[in-house]
Amino acid sequence: MSNDLMTPDLDDTVEPGPSYPQFGTPMVLAGSVLVAASAFLSWSYDREPLGDVSITGNPAPTQYLALIIGVLGIVLFLGRGPLARFFSWFDETAALRGLGFGAVAFALAVILAIFANTSGLINVDPGGWILLVGSIALAFGAEQLPAGRTHADPLRSKTSSWTEILAIIALLTGVLFLAAYALAMEDGYAFLALLAFLGAISATLIRGGFFQWLSIATAKHRQVLMLGAVVVAFLFPFTQDGRDANMTIATQIIVFAITALGLNIVVGLAGLLDLGYIAFLGAGAYVSALLSGSATSHLGFQLPFWLTAIIGACVASTLGLIIGTPTLRVSGDYLAIVTLAFGEIFRITVNNLDGINGPSITNGPNGVSGIPELNLFGFDFGQPHTLGGFTLTRYANYYFLLLLLGAFVILVFTRLNNSRIGRGWVAIREDERAAEAMGVNVFGLKLFAFAGGAFLAGLAGTIKAHQDLAISPDQFVFLESAFLLAAIVLGGMGTVAGALVGATMLKLLPEKLRFLENYRLLMFGILLVLMMRFRPEGLVASKRRQLEFHEDDQELAEAIQVEHLETKEAQA
Amino acid sequence: MQFLQQLLNGLTIGSLYALIAVGYTVVYGIVQLINFAHGEVFMIGAFGALATWSLLFKGTTAIWVLPIIILGAMLASVSVALLMERIAYRPLRNAPRLAPLITAIGISVILQEGVRLFYPEAKSSLSFPGIDIVTGPPIAIGGLDLRRSTIFIILALIVCAVGLWVFINRTKQGRAMLAVSQDPDTARLMGVNVDRTIAIAFALGALLAAVAGVAQGLHTRTVTFNMGFMAGLKAFTAAVLGGIGNIQGAVAGGLVLGVIEALATQYLGGATWANVWAFVLLIIVLVFWPQGLLGAKVVDRA
Repeated sequence: MSNDLMTPDLDDTVEPGPSYPQFGTPMVLAGSVLVAASAFLSWSYDREPLGDVSITGNPAPTQYLALIIGVLGIVLFLGRGPLARFFSWFDETAALRGLGFGAVAFALAVILAIFANTSGLINVDPGGWILLVGSIALAFGAEQLPAGRTHADPLRSKTSSWTEILAIIALLTGVLFLAAYALAMEDGYAFLALLAFLGAISATLIRGGFFQWLSIATAKHRQVLMLGAVVVAFLFPFTQDGRDANMTIATQIIVFAITALGLNIVVGLAGLLDLGYIAFLGAGAYVSALLSGSATSHLGFQLPFWLTAIIGACVASTLGLIIGTPTLRVSGDYLAIVTLAFGEIFRITVNNLDGINGPSITNGPNGVSGIPELNLFGFDFGQPHTLGGFTLTRYANYYFLLLLLGAFVILVFTRLNNSRIGRGWVAIREDERAAEAMGVNVFGLKLFAFAGGAFLAGLAGTIKAHQDLAISPDQFVFLESAFLLAAIVLGGMGTVAGALVGATMLKLLPEKLRFLENYRLLMFGILLVLMMRFRPEGLVASKRRQLEFHEDDQELAEAIQVEHLETKEAQA
Repeated sequence: MQFLQQLLNGLTIGSLYALIAVGYTVVYGIVQLINFAHGEVFMIGAFGALATWSLLFKGTTAIWVLPIIILGAMLASVSVALLMERIAYRPLRNAPRLAPLITAIGISVILQEGVRLFYPEAKSSLSFPGIDIVTGPPIAIGGLDLRRSTIFIILALIVCAVGLWVFINRTKQGRAMLAVSQDPDTARLMGVNVDRTIAIAFALGALLAAVAGVAQGLHTRTVTFNMGFMAGLKAFTAAVLGGIGNIQGAVAGGLVLGVIEALATQYLGGATWANVWAFVLLIIVLVFWPQGLLGAKVVDRA
């Protein structure tokens, strides 16, 4: 890797099976045009599916997505010729292949939606079939394209700072609008089509090398990214204008994400598997509920919230220490079982402290209800507020509080990860004995991971209790711990973005894909198995983790090394 | 008398734990994998038996039905166990240890949900058929209530344990299993088919779990789609208690755990706390005595 250009890889130009390069070019163009044109045709005879896609000449929102895919195909196609001067590092051919696959997935989602919402495929109008044919032509044609010109390595491209900052801002703004748009969707199938569309766009960008470029750009402008993300998250409630449905989901996602981040310290950084993590959230929630002055609390006294928050977090943290102690002797699978057992002990215990089977503390299976709204510094979280013409409901109030906590947790997570402690955890994760021999305080750091992660989860729990107004033991079952673990596994172990992406997916998808409700858990199980088989490091993987799961992949190792060096250089 | 009665209850439930625990131990001994989904194999066994009975002998309660429904249970659980070994675990054999564990959680969810969604009316608990001789009225012996299913369960444990011992120590395939558990690479060099041996370990565990599933069904007369979770966790506790990887240990651990649980129910706060004591025991054993009651193996697998 000494010169600036990637050496063209000869193996890539030889496609397996018969190859018809002469068909590639016209097929890609024709396919893109067909997909774009289908947006203006009727897809369905019936008005029901996808918010009425039955009118010719007047595209519905979902049909605009097809238009975007088609136009993107044409632009990328031209990018191979006239537009090649811009973004010299963007590999249009690979991007077109990604787009082709995504377009087929999108077309299939559309046809599935029409099929499921009406009496059958008979209701698919020619426009729908044109979309499918066009996308298949696009996918097939892109596969036949000869490998494009040699591209600059996206990692080594020198773009101006302004381009990079603008790209980051554009991306974040896109995320905000996308979130508002996606959350406003009522129709599960339209949401599915949107997911397929997003998949198509991401596949295009990933294959084209955009994210590699972006990772360098964000490393260079970390402050811009951070600030932008905070602003976007802060602006989100304003897009909802007083509606509660989506704010409920958003607050749930944040609580879940904070807990997942805490777990990510234990699992992702220190490599200790914890299957009873939900108990820490539960401990925080119960402490907060019992000390809140709720009518059903048997403690009979009330403490100010800031004090209960600290007590709750400390109780959770103490539990973390207790659970962490066996790690001195126990590791790996055994630790998983020990933590699972702890989680079950917690659940059964709060279930039993009902005055019949044990001391009367937690109301047993009924849980604590009637928890008062938070009131901090005279600000009542239960009342809607108006700010600059926008109504902010009680969920929005809790959202802002949780957002603050989330920002704090992310700060703690990244600072820990980059510190001596974080490096100690990595050392323990990779080889405990070697770490110990090198003078890493193995036991202390393991305990700290447990206690620290538990502290954050407990803190989230104290707010959760107030926000939900009621808690009961059945919110803290093993399956919830499994969900938390799945969020990290799905998103990517050891990264902030991974935990956020995973938590969002696991909470948002079931809310929006209601037609799958009965099969939700089944899908969840299948997803876990498939992820472990094909991408064990998660969607947004930390590079180091990725290598741990693919030890034999020399090319990946080299690519990661180059990226690591470039990032360091960009930051300097 | 109360004490003896609880001892008897403990031995019954302990024999069930022991039958399931053997499955954990056999698989762990060979591939050092905790097959988290083993509890679900047990559940599938119970449903396999129920399905066989409802398809072939609906309404029959004669004893000759019993062997056939046990066969049905075995067929169901062995095929599920082999399938999951082949599809999910085998591709991950050299992956970091986190991967198979999470896969196992996934499989466990898939199996539970699969039964809940696709077995007719399995969303709530289903009643399990009775077999006159096994589920008839209890026998009174000097003030003790000896349930007939207890006799069946203890007999089943004895038969299975002896059969397993003979298989492992007296057959060629059994020796192959011992060889693989000691050193897979050398075993392969000696001409042992390692893949097949591992599959056989899964199948053996599933056979015993199927027997346990039928026994549990006959004992409680109900089966539910989530009966495997707690049973699996307890059986794992039993396996650890006895020393994981050690078959005699699993049997001993199961019986000890069952008895402790029954006594705890009687003397330590009732049935709602029994599970807590079982898990406390698990943690204490793992922390202070990780090699278990009979295991000589040092726990040093990460």
